[in-house]
Amino acid sequence: MKNFILKIVALCMLFGFTATFAEEMTPVNAVESTHKEETYQTKPFAEMMSGFITSTGINAFINPSPNEMNSKGQPMSNFHKGVGRIIMIFVTFLLFWLAIAKGFEPLLLLPIAFGGLLANIPIAGIAGEHGFLGVIYHMGLSNEMFPIVIFMGVGAMTDFGPLLSNPKTALLGGAAQFGIFGTLVGAVILSQMGFVDFTLQQASAISIIGGADGPTSIFIATKLAPELLGAIAVASYSYMAMVPIIQPPIMKALTTDAERRIRMTTLRHVSRLEKLIFPITVLTLSILILPESTPLIGAFMFGNFLKESGVVERLNDTLQNSLINITTIFLGLGVGSKLAADQFLVPDTMFIMILGIIAFGIGSAAGVLMAKFLNLFPGNKINPLIGSAGVSAVPMAARVSNKVGMEYDRSNMLLMHAMGPNVAGVIGSAVAAGVLISLFQ
Amino acid sequence: METNLVMEGVKFMFLGMGTVYLFLMIMIAVMNAMSAIIHKFFPEPQPVTKAHQAETQDNKKIVAAISAAITHHREGQGL
Repeated sequence: MKNFILKIVALCMLFGFTATFAEEMTPVNAVESTHKEETYQTKPFAEMMSGFITSTGINAFINPSPNEMNSKGQPMSNFHKGVGRIIMIFVTFLLFWLAIAKGFEPLLLLPIAFGGLLANIPIAGIAGEHGFLGVIYHMGLSNEMFPIVIFMGVGAMTDFGPLLSNPKTALLGGAAQFGIFGTLVGAVILSQMGFVDFTLQQASAISIIGGADGPTSIFIATKLAPELLGAIAVASYSYMAMVPIIQPPIMKALTTDAERRIRMTTLRHVSRLEKLIFPITVLTLSILILPESTPLIGAFMFGNFLKESGVVERLNDTLQNSLINITTIFLGLGVGSKLAADQFLVPDTMFIMILGIIAFGIGSAAGVLMAKFLNLFPGNKINPLIGSAGVSAVPMAARVSNKVGMEYDRSNMLLMHAMGPNVAGVIGSAVAAGVLISLFQ
Repeated sequence: METNLVMEGVKFMFLGMGTVYLFLMIMIAVMNAMSAIIHKFFPEPQPVTKAHQAETQDNKKIVAAISAAITHHREGQGL
């Protein structure tokens, strides 16, 4: 009995296929169908079969439909519809591997990579205007909402105590921003030499990768160069994850053995009142000096103020956990929607990756050199290893400083000292972002 | 036009780094001033020793209660 049914089904399939090819021979009389009826019209089975086959993903990869548009409704090349998508799907698999097996920022890399996988599905148009990734993108990325919310959560997680007890380490966080502006010049020179065609806005958006601050990079990219968002976000987060690989060689190359063994004086106790007043002070400064940076600094200090106030434990807890987690999911998926083949598989992406890592390296090096420079002055000596923590990447960069320091002196704990430049780096890159935005107003 | 763009980049660099440093230096000055003021006029009360005493008192009470309970229990068993 079972066999019999199977045979019938197989026969039907066979009939369907042969009929499909027969159908293709006869010209379709589309002219007559101008008169449309509401009622459901019965179709021959063969036509249904052929319709189904043309709607499969296999067919869409092999014979890209000329009517398919990208997420902006513009036509795209056959390469980006077929082979390009397959390449991008494998790229997302690579990102899965980096996130799961290598532990590279899995919290963000996984949602981004999965968003990228979904964005490269043909026909379904998930990243298009009405697909859910497109909706997420317009909900909170194109209007810079998600990075701001992330910043609130980061603020609630940040402890300014180490910075307050040794204020001069803030200068290291400033030096690391040289990575941003140095790369900006590099990108402009590169496009002048004719390798790429970056506008000043695009060059600025790329160079902000040197700030090693994911939300800031996304904020600036959506504002100045939304077409490069995918590549910038992926570069930014993958380099942040690679801090333990990228930074130690730079740190070791620029310091002597004696410098790496410098012990720093223990941090003084910071009173609660100081911690409470600090966020308001910094916000006031940014209002006076650079109002363009207040969206980022304001959100950051809001989160920190809630935490230090000590009276809104529930809100603080939400900011640090549920809110930042939910936003991370949406942010990741929204950024992933920009990994569509037609936007990612362009020569620009390669230059963004290269410029990004240069920006990162320059930033780390500038922090270390600044620490050495400060040591020329009288006062408490600074271990130059904490200079590299001036690129934001909280708290990974500070941990790397601590780890490298302990390689040379097992009892030399640099972690808390490195947190000072680390959080100053966040403020510094927010200020740098504000400068870039104000320049393009 | 092309050289212009590089010059623009360099200008951005000086302006940007200048602003970042200006901001951070003012921030450092304000931080130092703030901590000086706070330490002078609002020294943090030090309730550490008090809390410790209260804790030991509590501990004594707890020990007393527990030993009373143990003796009570033993007496109960003895009967």
